[in-house]
Parts: sequence; structure tokens; C-alpha cells
Amino acid sequence: MKNKSLVSNIGIRLLLMLIIVTFLCVLNPKLSVAQPIVLGVPISRGYPDGVDAERGITLAVEEINAKGGVNVAGTMRPLKLEISDTRDLEPVVPVAEALLAVERLIIEKKANFIVGGPIRSEGALAAMDVLSKHKTVSILSAGVLSPAYHKRIADNYDKYKYCFRTTGSVVPMIGGAIGTFESIKAKKGFDKAFIMVQDVAHARAAGNALKEGLEKKGWKIIGYEIYPTGTTDFSVGLSKAKNGMAQYLIPWFDMPEVSILMKQWYDMKVPSLPIGYIHALQDEGTWKATDGKVAYSVVLYAKAGSVATKAIPLSEKFVPAHKKRYGMEPRSEWTSTSYTVVYILKGAIERAKSLDPDLIIPALEKTDMMGTYGRVKFDPKSHQIIENGDPKETAVGTWAQWIDGKRVIVFPDKIATKSLALPPWMK
Amino acid sequence: MNIFIFGLVNSVILALMASGFALVYGVSRLANFAHGALYILAGFATWLFLNRLGINYIGSIFLSIIIVSIIGGAIYRFLLIRVKGMPASEIIASLAIGIAIMELFRWRGFISEAYMLPPFVAGSVSIAGVVIDWQRLIIIGVGLAMMLSLWLFTHHTKVGLSLRAIAQDKHASMMSGIEPDRTAVIALAMGSALAGVAAVVILPLGNITVETGYMVLIDAIAVCIIGGLGSWAGVLAGAFLLGFSRILTAAFIGPHWQMVVVLLFIILTLILKPSGLLGRQKELEERV
Repeated sequence: MKNKSLVSNIGIRLLLMLIIVTFLCVLNPKLSVAQPIVLGVPISRGYPDGVDAERGITLAVEEINAKGGVNVAGTMRPLKLEISDTRDLEPVVPVAEALLAVERLIIEKKANFIVGGPIRSEGALAAMDVLSKHKTVSILSAGVLSPAYHKRIADNYDKYKYCFRTTGSVVPMIGGAIGTFESIKAKKGFDKAFIMVQDVAHARAAGNALKEGLEKKGWKIIGYEIYPTGTTDFSVGLSKAKNGMAQYLIPWFDMPEVSILMKQWYDMKVPSLPIGYIHALQDEGTWKATDGKVAYSVVLYAKAGSVATKAIPLSEKFVPAHKKRYGMEPRSEWTSTSYTVVYILKGAIERAKSLDPDLIIPALEKTDMMGTYGRVKFDPKSHQIIENGDPKETAVGTWAQWIDGKRVIVFPDKIATKSLALPPWMK
Repeated sequence: MNIFIFGLVNSVILALMASGFALVYGVSRLANFAHGALYILAGFATWLFLNRLGINYIGSIFLSIIIVSIIGGAIYRFLLIRVKGMPASEIIASLAIGIAIMELFRWRGFISEAYMLPPFVAGSVSIAGVVIDWQRLIIIGVGLAMMLSLWLFTHHTKVGLSLRAIAQDKHASMMSGIEPDRTAVIALAMGSALAGVAAVVILPLGNITVETGYMVLIDAIAVCIIGGLGSWAGVLAGAFLLGFSRILTAAFIGPHWQMVVVLLFIILTLILKPSGLLGRQKELEERV
């Protein structure tokens, strides 16, 4: 009898406590466990680009959660990452794999938003229909430089309005590159170039556009060669560049074997300045790994921010934060873009005060904030990030040159920290 | 001259890549599709010993070659021996082991473009007006030395002679007391060691990536198909044919046609002489 009353006593007390806690939670949202906002991240985790993007997104999410999360109409909700491997950068992996990853994130993981990838244009373009079908807002922040992406949005806004992109397109990239080459021509008098590109769609498109654009400006293109992915000998092309007295060597490669090109260029002392999209050389560890044979190479980053510059204050906060978190500086441009993308989304959610795509889309279209690569604004018709070369006005790419083991920004002029240097054998 | 020198380098590189694959097939009739994986295993192991454990470069190289050799032998002793005599199963099993090794590296995060080995000797030299780095010249030297050593080994040592005996006539050599499984383990271990030697001399030219493993396997198979599976002279012929045809294609047609030329050679070889230029698979003749 005594035991029974003890049990009922404890039971009543527990019930009372439960009621009080529930009451307090209802009154004070800060005490409640808010439902997280799920960010689905479909990326190729087995490749540096995917890992780089994942690092940027993770760092931003950790920072935001440490400050309480995202304020959705007065409720602070944490961000939760669901990362899925698209394998889209792996050779011979079908596009369907990337689509499956995106759909799994939306259906199984209940992702509220998709950020990051897929990284290959083919995968991202195919995923647009999946995003449209599920009415899920996506912001690409790694890879996908194809102009077809924002053209599809502009051509069929109602269907593809859920898709945004911060990586940029190869068209403004080439426009910027030609402007940079013209600027060097004005300073150094160079007008002979040898173009070497990888045999993949974006590089071939870039090579063709560069050749056409430079020839229109009166440049002499000494040679234009296309190399299969995985090429391990560039001696013939380099000899042609040397014999043709090319002053520029313009490589456009995203394959790791491009380091062989740079080592051969250095060993053969080819009197042409390597300047182009040399993705493997973006990594901070490249100098040590190549024994400094990347010296004087000028590397294009599709977006700034992964190399700190005073002209973009956020990049000066982001790069040390990345180094503290991962023990190294950001390896590629996609770390910077993927870090900023989370803040872009946070801003839009807070302005929309909702996760409803119909409210988020106009909020994203009105984005106007400073990111790690300049001012972030979207074209409301094509959802393409706006860029032109001034970080105070728009997003910018950057050209960094390897000098004495460091990447120093040499272009665009508005964010440059040093002027372009030439290798001793070119002087 | 430029084409001759770099063509020679590329040919020796292909011969080095294919020699281990050819040795294993020549002796044990086993197409070791884990060959490319063992190649990058040697590269990553050397990198780890050098950069993580602080072992000196020469020590790292020897250690990684020994480890790869042991792993190669173990692959036959514990796995492939169970599917011996079933060619399709042998290929599937060895390919599965190879993919597992390569993807293990990807899974463990070995995907940065900064995994590189330093050259043995830095700098370059001018030969007849062609500037070439020392590492490529070392590759030529190592390639020639390896071919000579292999010839001496297979012609003047007891183990080498037993390898040749098995390659020539398995049943007759068994009657002479040669144990085929033990010989196959030795062949796998030696083939893997050759993959390791190729890796440590070739990889300083570029970087170590998982994809390199797949490409090395494809190149090794291409050389062996064209030259003739199981024939040393065939390996050399195939390597030189591919090496020079690639550089001539790059110089006079365009670098992006190189792969087309390789595939064309493979197709032509398979149509005109299925056993390869110098292959004698169906004849009871010397294969090692």
C-alpha cells in the first residue's frame, strides 16, 4: 500500500514536470528543440572539387549553428547537412547516378534545399527537371560552367525558377580572360599565344571562344591543341610553343595531370607565360609538391575568395577560418563559393520568414549581400550570378600567380595585390 | 630529335608499365587486373613513408616495392588460387581486388592533386638542342636496366629458369618437380614489384591519383595485346609502337587523336594477328 502511493506520487510529480516543461517551451521558442532546416548536398565526394565544396558548406553551417541557427519568422532553427555522393566527376559514371542522389536527398532525407552540386554540367542540367518536379530550391556552388544552365532558366522561367547558380558561366569567364590578356598586352606588348585545352566540353568551348576572341583583337594564335584527359606528355606542344615564340601559354585543364605540363614547361624553360584555367594549381600544396616548378604560373579562379585579399574583407575572415578548421587554406574556388552559398540561403530564408519555395525564390532574386568573392546579386530572369570585375558591385573571379611559394593576386586590377612577374628566362 | 627523344621516353614508360603484367601472364597465364592498383599502391606507399613517417626517399622506395611485392604474392596465395583455371573468374576477381585497393585510397581521402613524389635528380639537360629533365633520362636508364636484369634472372637463375619452364610447359615442368602454385606466387610477387619499380620512377613526372591506376592498367593491356601476351620482345615492340605512334600523332595530327590511334592499333592487331605482333600463345615456345 505504501509502495503503491510512492509510485503514484512519483508519477504525479513527473506528469507535473512534463506539463511545466511543455508550457515553458510553448511560451519560449528558444527553449524548444527547433526542427532543423535540412540542406541536401549532392556532390562528388571522391574528387577534390567535391571535398572542397563540402568543406566550404560545412564551415558555414557550423558557424551559423554556433550563433543559434537561422531565424525563421522568430524561431531559431539549426541547419542540418545531408550529403550524398553523386560520383558525377568519376569517369564512366552515368548521369543517372547524380539524379538518384538528388532525388534521394529530397525524398528520403527530406531536404528543404539543395546546395553545392551536382558538379558536372551534364549532371546539373539533368537535375533541373528533378528539382522542378519536387519544387525544391537549389543553388549550385561548385562546377557547372555551362551557359546552357541559366539559358534554360531564362527560356522557361516558370519550370526552372527553383534553380540558382553562383559558380558563373564560361562566357563571362572568357570575356574576363580576354580583358586580362589585353591588359597584359598593353603593359608588356605580348600578342602571341599558344592555347592548350583538355578534351572535355567546357575546356573545348573555352578554347574555341578564346581563340576566336583573341584573333578578333589582333592576336596571333601560334597553336591550338586539344589533349585527352590523362595525357602525360606535353613535350610536342611545348616545343611548338617555344619554336613559334609564343609569349603566352594558355592552358585550360581541370585534370590533375596538368602538373606534368607545368613541370615540363619549367624543365624545358619554355619562354611563354603560363596563364589560364589550371585547376590543379589552385591548391596551396602545389608549390611544395612540385618543388616550386609552378613558379610564375598564373591561375584563374572562377570566383575569388579562396585567396585572401583586402579588397574583399570577407575573404580575409574566411581563409583563416578555413585554415583553422581544416589545417590548410582553401584548395579551390569552389570552397569560397560553397561557403558563401549557405549565407545566401540564410539571408533569403530570414527575409522570406519561411521555407516555402514560393517565398524563398523572390527573396533569393532580391539577394544583395557581400560574399567571399564580392557582392552577390542574381539576375532575376536567369538566376545567374552577376559578375563584372569590381567586387564592390558584383561577384568577381581572380587570377593568382605563384611567386615564392605563395599565390598572389595579380588580376583583376581592383583586387590585385602585386603586379605580374615574368620568369627569368623570358626577360 | 625532339620526337625521337620524347618518343623513346614514352616507349620506355609504357614498357615499364606493362612489364609486370606481361611477366605474370607469361608465367601463370593469369591476367592480373589489379596491376594498376598495385602501381598506385606503390606510389602512395612511397609518399606516405616519405612524408608521414619521415623515412628517407631511397628507404621509402625500397620499402614500398617490398610491400607491394608481398601484397601481390598474397593476392595469388589467398585469393586468386581459389579461382585458378577459370579465366573469367580470375579476371573478375583480380579486377575486384584492384578496384577495392584503388577506391580504398579514394575513400581514405587520397584525392588531392598535391600527392607528388620528388624527382630523383632535379634539373634538366640539353641533348642535341632538346631540353629534357633528368628524371626522364633516369626512366630510360631504369627501363633498360630492368629489362637486362629480367633477362639475366630468367636465363641464369634457378627460380628464373623454373618460371620459364612453367611458361613453356606446365605439365612437363611439374614432372621435373616444379610446383606451379609456388611459381605463380613468385610471378605475382615479381610482377607487383615491377609495377612498384615503374611507379616510383614514373610518378615523379606528375602526381599520384586514383585514376592513374585505371589508366596504367589500360596502357599495360594495350601494350600486351599489340605486342603479344606473354612475350618479352612483344612487350618492347608494343611499347615502342605505341610510344612513337602517340608522339607522332601529337606532332602531326593532333594530341586528341592519340587515343584513337591506340585503339586503331588494337583493333588492327586483333583482326590481323590476334596473338599480337610477337605473341605465341598457341605455340609451345618460349614466352618469358
